[in-house]
Amino acid sequence: MDLFLQTLLNGLLIGGVIATFTIAFQLAFGVLHVIDFAVGGWVVLGGYLGYYITAWLGLDGFIAIPLAFVLFGTLGYLIGPVLYNVRNSRTARPELMALALSFGLFTLLRGGMLTAWGFNTRNVTTTLSGESLAIGPITVPLIRVVAAAFAAAIAGGLFLFLYRTRYGLAIRATAENRHNAALMGVNIGRLSANVYGLYAGITAMAGVLMGAIYSVNPEVGLRYTLFAFFVAVLAGLGSVEGALVAALLLGVIEAFVSTYVGASYSLLAIFTTLFLVLLVSPRGILRRGL
Amino acid sequence: MALLPTNPQWRGLVLLAIIIVVLGVLPWTVNNYWLRIATGALMWAGLACSWNMLGGYAGYINFGQSAFFGLGAYVTAFLMGDPFGLPFSATIPAGMVVTALFAVIIGAPTLRLRGAYFAIATWAFAEVLIQFASAMDFTGGIGGIGLPPYLNERFFYFAMFGTAALAYFLTWALFERSRFGLKVKALRDHEPAAEAMGINTALVKLQTFVLSAVTASVFGAIFAYWVTFINPKSVFGGDITDQMVVMVLLGGLGTLWGPAIGGVGLFVVNRLIWMYWGDTAFYIAILGTAIVLVVLFLPNGIAGLFARRKNDALDKVMDKLVGTGAGGHP
Repeated sequence: MDLFLQTLLNGLLIGGVIATFTIAFQLAFGVLHVIDFAVGGWVVLGGYLGYYITAWLGLDGFIAIPLAFVLFGTLGYLIGPVLYNVRNSRTARPELMALALSFGLFTLLRGGMLTAWGFNTRNVTTTLSGESLAIGPITVPLIRVVAAAFAAAIAGGLFLFLYRTRYGLAIRATAENRHNAALMGVNIGRLSANVYGLYAGITAMAGVLMGAIYSVNPEVGLRYTLFAFFVAVLAGLGSVEGALVAALLLGVIEAFVSTYVGASYSLLAIFTTLFLVLLVSPRGILRRGL
Repeated sequence: MALLPTNPQWRGLVLLAIIIVVLGVLPWTVNNYWLRIATGALMWAGLACSWNMLGGYAGYINFGQSAFFGLGAYVTAFLMGDPFGLPFSATIPAGMVVTALFAVIIGAPTLRLRGAYFAIATWAFAEVLIQFASAMDFTGGIGGIGLPPYLNERFFYFAMFGTAALAYFLTWALFERSRFGLKVKALRDHEPAAEAMGINTALVKLQTFVLSAVTASVFGAIFAYWVTFINPKSVFGGDITDQMVVMVLLGGLGTLWGPAIGGVGLFVVNRLIWMYWGDTAFYIAILGTAIVLVVLFLPNGIAGLFARRKNDALDKVMDKLVGTGAGGHP
């Protein structure tokens, strides 16, 4: 029973961190209508920033969180318009070309990082690394609790921004119906660039947290892209609220398979679930997808 | 060019004949090292062609094509192995049947979905197979399986050459010169309209998908016998699909010769980088840059540079007829 509770708690904590960037991923899809393969690339970039902050400057890894947002948010803000232009270009198949572009970006990020930093695995170290927290009979690494708290703060901030500000309203309106939003005076092109920047920044912040919990190397980007896709399929593409539930579910599934079946089967379980959900209920189990 | 006839049809035939003759005598003019590179180039040209059938002509992006390449390879390795010991030629049809079966099971439900979901589903399927092959005993796990060695480079060269030639012939006959091809292109350009015309789009897409998958599986089977040793990463790996996608985009989506240009060109670049730097990470970065540049500046690929005038005219006619905006001037 203790093991069961411990696994559940671990899964929920990891799921919380996954939720931050999958929510942003869904937001970016809702506005840009591009499935961004590069999502795992942003996660890994954030993780490496955390690593270099600790390795070069000797600072606590968590200091990289705001820095990641500014740095990669800016980079995303610059890339966003390119993606938007391709998606809305008048070539024969803009949807396909945008998908290919994001795939190219992902491959470029992965190859660039492998060339620059090699295949070695890096850790983001913080003052909390190695400590653990005991709650009754179960113990969890303190870093996971703190990371989940950071993730909750980031997600909470994002939801406040989306639901309590005028600009958030414009984003939600665009995600719901871009034509009507444009008629109401929303500059879709600029808003898309901003949303992509916001998404890249948030994803990189989640990357710092992921780097602190696990470790980071250029090849794990694929895993996070898979996570984002899994959540998107379960929640339905573009559904922000569903992403929160689906991400927590993903964390729990992964934790239970790793604990009870074996860590090498966790990806197999995730992919099989993803595949079955696509077959049975393509618009997501919450049926909110676009 | 004065030597070539001016009539474009005859010129095309003469060029084709020259290519076939050059490829036919190549094994007797180069050493084994370069012969292996030529064999690989033919394989990639054929794989790019197989991806192009669905991606280029039907407009459905398949991010899991390596699954079918790997299925062909694994079926051959498995059947040539210890308990069965079948001859190589008997394993190819077996691989084709298994692959077709998987393609129907995967394709029938997912091809009904929007393109984005199809892309994710195929990608997930390929990853499932990697994980599955790594975890199971009968596939040899992460270690992989060995095949009985057959050291005849010319055999493999001509096997790849023949299969690639067949793949291109099928593409030409089915997608460029038949009603079937018109149906496929119609559903690519406007699926609801194609359905309204009475085309059974679900069936046409499934047929294209199965053809594309089976073609890839034959290359996988030859590849396994050629390299005599396979493991999950080497035949199911995502990099295999990545390369096919880049080759087709670079050469020209939905064109007959684009995949051949992209496939041979990129594979030679790959080998040159490997020879001079021996570093594959650098190559991945180049792949990514190539995709980004092609999407931004050369959306019709290299083949599009030559066929631009003809396509523009066709697009204008299409626009006038249906006004879909498919040609770029809505």
